[in-house]
Amino acid sequence: MMKLQFDWRSRLSRFRVWALSFRGGITLLCLVGLLLVPLTGREYLARIVITAMILTIFAASWDLLAGFAGQVSFGHAAFFGISGYVTAAFVKFVGAPWFLAIFIGTGWAVVFSLLIGIPCLRLKGPYLALGTLAFALILYNLFLTGTWLGGTEGISALPNIGSVFVEFYIMAAFMVASLIIMRAIVDSRLGTILKAIRDDEVGADAAGINTTVYKLVAFMVSGLFAGISGALFVLDITAVNPAVYQPLYSFYAIIMASIGGIATIYGSIVGSFLFTLLSEFLRPLAAASLLIFATLLILIIRFSEEGVMNPFLEHVRDLWDKIRGR
Amino acid sequence: MEEILIFGTIQGALLALLALGFSLVYGVGGLLNLAHGAFFLITAYIVYWTIHLLTSIPGLSYYPLVFGIAAVVGLSSVVTIGAVTYLGLMKPLQKSHIGVVLVTFAMAFFFEQFVKFVGDPKTHYIVPVVPGTVTLLGITFPAQLLALVFGSVILVTLVTLFISKSTIGKSIRAVSQDPEAAELVGINTDMVMMTSVMISALLVGFAAVLYAPGNYIAPRIGWGYLLLAFSVTIFGGMGSIPGSILGAYVMGYATTLTDYLISPSFSQIVPLIVILVMLLVRPQGLLGKKRLQ
Amino acid sequence: MGLILEVKNLTKKFGGLTAVNDVNFEVHRGEILGLIGPNGAGKTTLFQLISGFEKPNSGSVRFNGVDITGKRPYQIVNLGLARTFQLVRSFRFLSLLDNISVACLSPRGREAFGEVGIDAAASSILASVGLVDKARLPPVILPHGDLRKLEIGKALGTNPEFLLLDEPFSGLAHEESAGITRLIEQLHEEGVTVFMTGHVLRELMTLVPRVIAMHQGRLIAEGPPKEVASNKIVLEAYLGRGEGFA
Ligand SMILES: Nc1ncnc2c1ncn2[C@@H]1O[C@H](COP(=O)(O)OP(=O)(O)OP(=O)(O)O)[C@@H](O)[C@H]1O
Ligand SMILES: [Mg+2]
Repeated sequence: MMKLQFDWRSRLSRFRVWALSFRGGITLLCLVGLLLVPLTGREYLARIVITAMILTIFAASWDLLAGFAGQVSFGHAAFFGISGYVTAAFVKFVGAPWFLAIFIGTGWAVVFSLLIGIPCLRLKGPYLALGTLAFALILYNLFLTGTWLGGTEGISALPNIGSVFVEFYIMAAFMVASLIIMRAIVDSRLGTILKAIRDDEVGADAAGINTTVYKLVAFMVSGLFAGISGALFVLDITAVNPAVYQPLYSFYAIIMASIGGIATIYGSIVGSFLFTLLSEFLRPLAAASLLIFATLLILIIRFSEEGVMNPFLEHVRDLWDKIRGR
Repeated sequence: MEEILIFGTIQGALLALLALGFSLVYGVGGLLNLAHGAFFLITAYIVYWTIHLLTSIPGLSYYPLVFGIAAVVGLSSVVTIGAVTYLGLMKPLQKSHIGVVLVTFAMAFFFEQFVKFVGDPKTHYIVPVVPGTVTLLGITFPAQLLALVFGSVILVTLVTLFISKSTIGKSIRAVSQDPEAAELVGINTDMVMMTSVMISALLVGFAAVLYAPGNYIAPRIGWGYLLLAFSVTIFGGMGSIPGSILGAYVMGYATTLTDYLISPSFSQIVPLIVILVMLLVRPQGLLGKKRLQ
Repeated sequence: MGLILEVKNLTKKFGGLTAVNDVNFEVHRGEILGLIGPNGAGKTTLFQLISGFEKPNSGSVRFNGVDITGKRPYQIVNLGLARTFQLVRSFRFLSLLDNISVACLSPRGREAFGEVGIDAAASSILASVGLVDKARLPPVILPHGDLRKLEIGKALGTNPEFLLLDEPFSGLAHEESAGITRLIEQLHEEGVTVFMTGHVLRELMTLVPRVIAMHQGRLIAEGPPKEVASNKIVLEAYLGRGEGFA
């Protein structure tokens, strides 16, 4: 299929231009800010940010499939959950080290992305949505009623992968790498083909593109990153139970990606951090917190079709240009 | 066998009420309303709260009257909610292909939290308005369920007649066949879509009024009803009204059958597998039109 | 020279309607062949069958001697048979350049232009259809005439040796049609075989030396445009529908 070619020198000069550009500068600033979080020594804050980082990968993986390839999945929790389960099982029952378990878990997620993707190839729109949802729900019910892998209780008491701060940097590395790779994919030739399939599948067929293969590639890549996030999620909370297959998790991915902005990949960062931090800050309001959260959600979706990231950045840029007197 | 006949009919009657409106709204406006289950939820809770309120008034002790008032309050609220949801949220987002899905999902989430906030997260029980049990073909079941079957048959017939006979109904069909052409001949498509959302809310509201009494209600129940409506609609054919009615009864009998033949613990999975098979074999559903390119 | 396309006994039914009824004809390598017929004659359906977007009920299509009946559209495209659509389509959120690149990224396009030559190839195709100054724009803001050009450009991206053009002039002003005519002539000179429809013969008259005429799913006439235009059956077919064609 696609060979990604690296020309280091031109990459480097392009990086310099990017870093000095507005968006590049903001991104680097945020990255530095993120890496400084553990230095504050606040474990609680670090924990929340870890969750946000893991969910970022999950939301971005959904965005890659839905926003770029046009395959709107309502069952993304299937990939998230299966990888989480396999990872937990390998750590707990086989005693595999966590990084190896992530590989195996993610591999299973990729296998499942084919198992789900192949039958769903012919489906579109609400049919695809319900088809993927049904797969995830079947897994949910199988794990709930079955007695394997801990049954209803799931698997718990996994070993920690390190102190919170070590874990923080591991997760940050995973997030940054995953996002850069996903963004590189959607900006590559493969990405162009996926976007073409999203915009007009018949037209892509008429342009000589084997849409079947490329849709499956999209499912696999998305399944891979959803799998990584599922594995990391389980390693972070050191437990897993059938709830990971719930439609709610699939919807979290959709909501977070949409808050940030669909078809952006990086919007998932904004969406996930807003989502996680907001739910955390509202927590002291007890019952009212989720109600406020739901209201905000409705307002964001209603009034910002592009999500909040791009419009926000535009505003900041205008302000910045004004300050610099341009 | 008699059990399957009776309980299958009951299940089918419930599913028809749930699915008909969901399918109608999709057929007319291409709107996938994920708040459909939440409409059930909110109606059931409004009925519950109103009953609670009214029974605390000393003079009012005649339960059917109390329930009747509560039902009217519940139904008119849900129809209003439907209209407001359409005007405020669905209509502005209709152009973006996923906007409606997201915003109605957020709505559903909102209602779940609203119910939890105003009430509490616990389960509640609504006393059936039709007391006692009936025995039919040697099977005894709550009389309330008989009311559900009758109510469902009457409502489904009325709505079907309304759509095939009335002027508004004809506009509804025109818009569902070709919105642009309908617009050209002067049909107010927004009005038509709002009407369908309101009819849909009314039907699902009735499902709540008829089925929630005698059952437990809790903030989470909306999702289950949404899934049922969604499944039946896919099964019968997205946007096909006869399809969703037929689909409802076929699904009703099928799930009852599997409950008896296999085991109730599988009753969650069997409908899902039926849906998957259906999607893979005949994605347009039982009576759905094959989409033209 | 020889035959590039052989269509034998091709039939397609939609329910009770036979849209293409036992159609037989051949296309010679390097020629420009026209297909005329009133609205609903079955021209588009015939194109759908040849390009693999619909499966025929019976009959066969051979391209370069290879039986392509029942093959998937992208497979047919990669054998060198590309098409345009009567109703223009585009990749809405891609720039014009990327719209063409998609076609250049097909296996056949890659073979022709090479992995590194894709952008250059897409630009030169965009230039040849006269859209190069709009390369970075999305198609949604283009006027209809430009979308027609884009439609042909996308087909060219797959480096076809045979082009099916479905109503390439529909909805175009006179000077825009002239531009497309020049483009088709140029492709013809480069050796591309062209098979195109139009439901008004005048548009095709200057361009095609040979036309076939279709009515109610059947082929009813064949020959030089002048002859077909004066053919009694053809005249009746058009008159019966109250349409003029000359
Ligand atoms: N997918 C379909 N399903 C059912 N009927 C169809 C389908 N496609 C075409 N038809 C019918 O087949 C007949 C031939 O249509 P077709 O589009 O091939 O005609 P045409 O010659 O291209 O006409 P026009 O000049 O309007 O483009 C028409 O009666 C049309 O309604
Ligand atoms: Mg045509």
